[in-house]
Formats: sequence, structure tokens, C-alpha cells
Amino acid sequence: MQIYPEQIAHALINESFHSRRLFVGMFVIVNVAMLAAGLLWPKSYVASTSIIVDDKSIIEPLMKGAAVPTEMADRNRNAREVILGGRVMNQIFERGGWLTDRATALEREALIEQIKARTTITPVGKDVIKIDYRDSDQERTLLVTKAFAELYIQEMVAEKESETRSAFDFIDKQAQEYQQKLIATEEELRQLRSSNLDARPGSDIELSARLIALNTRIENTTLELREAEMKRASLERQVNGEAEVTVLATREGQFRARIADLQAKLDTLRLTFYDTHPDVVQLKNQIQDLRAEASAQRERREKAKPSERMEPDETVVNNPVYQQLRRELSQNQLSIDALKARIAEAQRLLQEEVNRGKSLHSGDARLVELTRDDQINREIYQDLLRRRERARVSVSMDSDRQGSNFKILEPARSSPSPNAPRFWQFVLGGVVLGVLIPLGLLFARLQFDPRVRLANAISERHKVPVAAIVPHLWSPGELTGLRKELTILALIVTATLTLSATLSVGRLVGVL
Amino acid sequence: MSKIEKALKRAGDERGNLQLVPAAAAGGRAAPWTALLGQQIEYPETTSRMAGNEGKLLSADELWERGIIHPEHTDEPAVQVFRELRTKIVQQNQGQNAVILVASVSKGNGGSFIARNLGAAFAFDSAKTALLVDCNLGNPSVHRLLPDASLPGLAHYFENPEMDVSKIIHPVGIERFRAITTGGLREAPAEYFVSMKMRRLIDSLRERYRERFIFLDGPPMSDIADARILSELSDYVLVVARHGRTTNAQIESGLNAISNKKLLGIVFNDEPRIPWIR
Repeated sequence: MQIYPEQIAHALINESFHSRRLFVGMFVIVNVAMLAAGLLWPKSYVASTSIIVDDKSIIEPLMKGAAVPTEMADRNRNAREVILGGRVMNQIFERGGWLTDRATALEREALIEQIKARTTITPVGKDVIKIDYRDSDQERTLLVTKAFAELYIQEMVAEKESETRSAFDFIDKQAQEYQQKLIATEEELRQLRSSNLDARPGSDIELSARLIALNTRIENTTLELREAEMKRASLERQVNGEAEVTVLATREGQFRARIADLQAKLDTLRLTFYDTHPDVVQLKNQIQDLRAEASAQRERREKAKPSERMEPDETVVNNPVYQQLRRELSQNQLSIDALKARIAEAQRLLQEEVNRGKSLHSGDARLVELTRDDQINREIYQDLLRRRERARVSVSMDSDRQGSNFKILEPARSSPSPNAPRFWQFVLGGVVLGVLIPLGLLFARLQFDPRVRLANAISERHKVPVAAIVPHLWSPGELTGLRKELTILALIVTATLTLSATLSVGRLVGVL
Repeated sequence: MSKIEKALKRAGDERGNLQLVPAAAAGGRAAPWTALLGQQIEYPETTSRMAGNEGKLLSADELWERGIIHPEHTDEPAVQVFRELRTKIVQQNQGQNAVILVASVSKGNGGSFIARNLGAAFAFDSAKTALLVDCNLGNPSVHRLLPDASLPGLAHYFENPEMDVSKIIHPVGIERFRAITTGGLREAPAEYFVSMKMRRLIDSLRERYRERFIFLDGPPMSDIADARILSELSDYVLVVARHGRTTNAQIESGLNAISNKKLLGIVFNDEPRIPWIR
């Protein structure tokens, strides 16, 4: 359905007139409601304060590495919890003057909840916290806001101090614990060392060096011994050989010399005598015997060789080479004995060392453990000592308020006038709404009421011409009644407006 | 002698006191269109005759008090609206008289008010007369126009077969305006309206005076049977819907009850208006 704005306006004016009582009634109701709202609207004052939390104080760079300023992680969330927390709230409750004897726990809870609802905590930037508080009493608003700031700072400082103090206490406790441990370890170590003298740091290295030295000596001596033994064997062989050679050479030579001598005589005799000459025959027999003797001797020598033992006879003994050899041999025997003695000694020493090493190793594992514990404990203890000193400085920093600074950036300030809609705004709103609301309702009725109020709606809807639009015929009697009615309505409107005006003036003057 | 003349004569005879006024006596008062029809001689007679039988005429203010328009109420927009509606009807019927049913869509839509005032608007014209027949048996109102509410009406006419129509036509204090009341008719109306007598009555009323426009103040169209019967008896139907009273559904069902051919249109009644402001 097409309705033009001027039609709407026209229709609205006519409708308003038609439903004038409703209109005026609503006007009065809206106005009175707004006046009542204006009168009863709680006066609300707002005070705000901001607190700056400055972690970057002058002390920080100076103390860098030496002390740790307490970190306030997630400060904004923290702030809300601290400010609206039970401890601060209870004090606020006291300071705000709400604490009365007749307040039950339930009322008190409700009141605290109200105070919380009226408090806004807004983080401004990174380090600033803004606290807004709203209340109906101007003085109390200021008081409570101030208290909020003070208590917050107080709480935070206390919290920081206690945090630092507990950190110090913890480190101190730890340091003492490590000290005890260290003492215990050192005591045990001392006992272990006194019970096992060799057990000292590096003794195993020394031991192994000694073992190596002994082993080397044994090896060297063994080598020397083997050399000497070989020399002896060689000497013995030489001695035996020389004797035999000497003996055999001597006898065979003697035989060969006699044979040659006899041969020479034989040769000479043969020159003169026949072989049958007795002398020659004798000589020949002699030579034959000697040869037999000589070959027997040779056989004996051949046989005698493997046995290598041969009783040297006098000729041999008298042989200077033999004698020389025998001297060397006996010297050699001496040195072999000496070497053997040295090896035995070295082996004894080695065994001793090995035994000692065994006992050393059995204590060594414990020793190593203890030594390591001792070393670690010592390191940690020293670290803890350093830390404790830092913590001590931090504690004194906090107690001197040198760590992070809580400062009131903007002292609590209250708005001079209540932060609520002014009374005249209510009055004006009442007048405006008193007209707009009925108009809106009439418009809604025009739009949504199934009863026809616009003639062209009929013709459009039913495709039937509207033969005539007959306006209301005001009879004289009706007009008289209308005049009266309008007068009464005007009076009602005037009365309403007068009431509004009077109340406004009263409010301005301060009577209300 | 024309049919009308005969009828007039008969009527006059019936009443026994009818004085035929010479045409010259009321010469200038004939409407232009009557001249075209060539019946100018008879009409002035009838109108004059009626004029002589108006009874006590009501003043403009008295009419106003009763919610009836008067040509003197020039400031009243309703007067102009009814005049325009009259013109429309006359044009529609090409000057012929007609039987017009005025029926509300539902009760309280002011159908009687429209019928009454439309009749009055027709009566403004000295060349036309208007007859208002109260057919709204459920909520009759026409009798209030009469000085004596007990004067015979439809009931008497139906119950008394010998009764003459003229006995139930009464002046209402407005020039050229007559009315027929229900006469306390309370029985099932459809029975009467269906009867031949009703048809005959309407026909005779229509035929009797050619310048007479007959307005049937009908029952609400929610009473579908009556509305349909009456619409069949009439030439045109005006459906009255009142501002802020009727829903589209009611209008729809009301329109369904009558023939589209006879429907002149919807009269949107009682549009709010601030008096003193034009």
C-alpha cells in the first residue's frame, strides 16, 4: 500500500485529534513518569584517580644483575583482583561509613557487590591504572576513591615485600641446606682419605705410571736375560767345541805326526831295505796300528759330538782359547743370575703394585663420587650464596621502596556536579517523549491495526472506488462538548507543564 | 395524460385534499434536466404539492443538531461531500430517479447517517425529492426524525393490506424530504422484504414521482440475507465503512454479498476532522 508522507502526516494529525484523550493521557503519564524519574534518579558523583606503576626506577640499571626487582606479571588483571578483593573491600567498607552494627552479613555482601559494580578499573597504557568510583554522596565518592588508591598501593607494596622476602627466605634456606650437604660430603671425604692414604686425587695415574715402568723393566730385563742365555749357550757350545777340537786335534795330530814320522823312517828304510826287512815290517805295523788308533780316535770324536759333554783333559784346559771361553762363560752365568734376580724382584714389585692398585680402585669409585658431589655442592652453594646476597639487596630495596614505584599519578578528584542526567533534561525529555510516544503509537496503530483508517487503503485493497470520504460532522452539541473537553485537556497539559516547570525551578533553586 | 399524471391524480384522489397547482406558479423551479425530458409540467406540481405538506420545517441549526446537513452550512465540509456524492449518483443514473441502498459494512458504521444526509443533499435540489425508507429493522433510526415516533410505518403497511402508501410517508421537517419508518417492525425482516408487497411498495414509490430518489437505510451487511435482498430491490448500493471501525475482512465479505454492477462505491464515513480547521 502506497502511503505518501503528507498523507501520513495528515492522517497522524487527524488521528491525534481523534484520540486526543489518549494522547493527552499518555502525554501526562510520560511527563509524570519522567518527572518522577528525574526526582528519584540517584545523584551520582564520579571520582577517579590513576596510579602509575613504575618498574623502571633509577635503581634498576644500577643494580642490574645484582638484584631482581619484583616482576608484577599481568598487573592489570592483578590490580582488579587486588582492588576488588576481600581485604581492600573490607577496609573500603569501613572507611566509606557503611559499617553499621545492624548490617547483616547478607546485606553487607550485597552492599559490597554494589560497591564493586560502581567501581571501574581501567588500564591506561602499560603502567597506569585508572580507578573510577561512582556514588550518590559526593564526599564519600572522593573518600572511597582515595582509599582505593591508597589501599591498592599499600597492598601492592606489601605483596611485593612479602614476595621478595619469601624469595630471600627460600634462597637462604637452600643455601643452608647446601652448606650442610657440603660439610657432610667433606667429612666423608676426609675419612675416606685418612683410611686410604693412597686414595688421593691422581694416585691412580701415578700407579699406572709405576706399573708401566715395572712392566717395561721386566720386559727389558727379560730381553737381557734371553740375550745372556743365548750368549751362554753359544759360549758353552764354543767351549765344548774347542775342547773337543783341541783334544781330538791333539791325539790325531800326535798319531798323524808319529805316522808321518814313521812313514818318513819307513821311506828311508825302503830306500835301503826291502819291504820284507824286519824294520820295514815293524815300521809298517806300527804305522798301521797308529792309523787304526787314529781312525778309532776319529770315530770316538764323531760319536762324542752329540753328547757335547766331554771331560776336558789337560791339553784342553791348557788351551788359552778354552780358558778364555771358560772365563766368559762364567761371567755370563753371573750376569744371567743377576738378571734373573732383577726380573724376580721386578715381578714382585709389579705384583705389589697390582695389589695396591686393586685396593686403590675399590675406594676410588666412592672417592670419585664424593669428589664429584663435593664439587657440585660447592658450586651450587657458591651460586646460592651469590643469589642470597642479591635477594638481600632486593629485600632492602623493597623496604626502602626503591623497586617498582607505585605513585598516585592523578589524585582522586570528584566531579563537582552529579554525573547524571540533569533534571531539566528529564523535563524536556518528558515533553518531547510525551508527544513522540503517542505519535509513534498512533503511527503503529495506523500501520498495524486491521481496522481501516485510510480511505485509499480501501480502494487499493478491494479495487472498489471510494464514492465519498465523509468527514465527521460536528453537531453544535458535540462542538460544545468538544470545546469543554479541549479546555479540560488544555488545562491538564498546562497543569502538567506547570508541574514540570515548578519542579525544575525548585530543583534549580535547590529546594528539591 | 402521462402515467405519472395519472398516478398523481390517483394519489390526489386518494388523499382527497390534493390541490393541483398550475405549472406557472412554480415555473422557474424546474430543474434543467426535467425540461429535456419534456415533463416539466408535472414536476412542479408534485414538488409544490409536497411543499405544501412539509409540516413544520426545521431550521438549519436544528438540523445540524440532529446531524443532518443543510445548504446553509457552507463551512461544513460534509455538505460539500454529500453534494458531490449526489452529483455522482445523478450522473450515474443519467438524471433518472433511483432506489439506492445505503448499508453499513457492520453495525455502528453510520449507514443511517449517510442515508439521511444523502437524502438531505438530494432535497437541497428543488427539482428533486428524497424518500428515506428505514429498512434497518434491527436498529431503526428514521423514526427519530419524525415529530411523533408512533406514526405508521412499514409494519402497519405490511400488516394492513388495504393501507395506502401515502399513509406511511411522513414529512421530517425538511423540504422535499419524506421518510418511512419501520413502524415497530420486529419480525424476521427477510420475510417482509422478500414479499411481493415490498417489491410493489418500492416500485410504486419509485414510479409515483419521477424526481423522487429513494434511499433505503439498510441493515448492516453482516446480515447478509437482508443486505442481499435489499440490494436486489434497489438500483444502486452504497457501502458505508466507518473510520477505525471496520476491518478489511468485513469490507471484503460485505462486498461479496452484493452485485458489483449495483455497487456505486464505498463511503468512508466519519473521517476524523478538526473542527474550525478547513
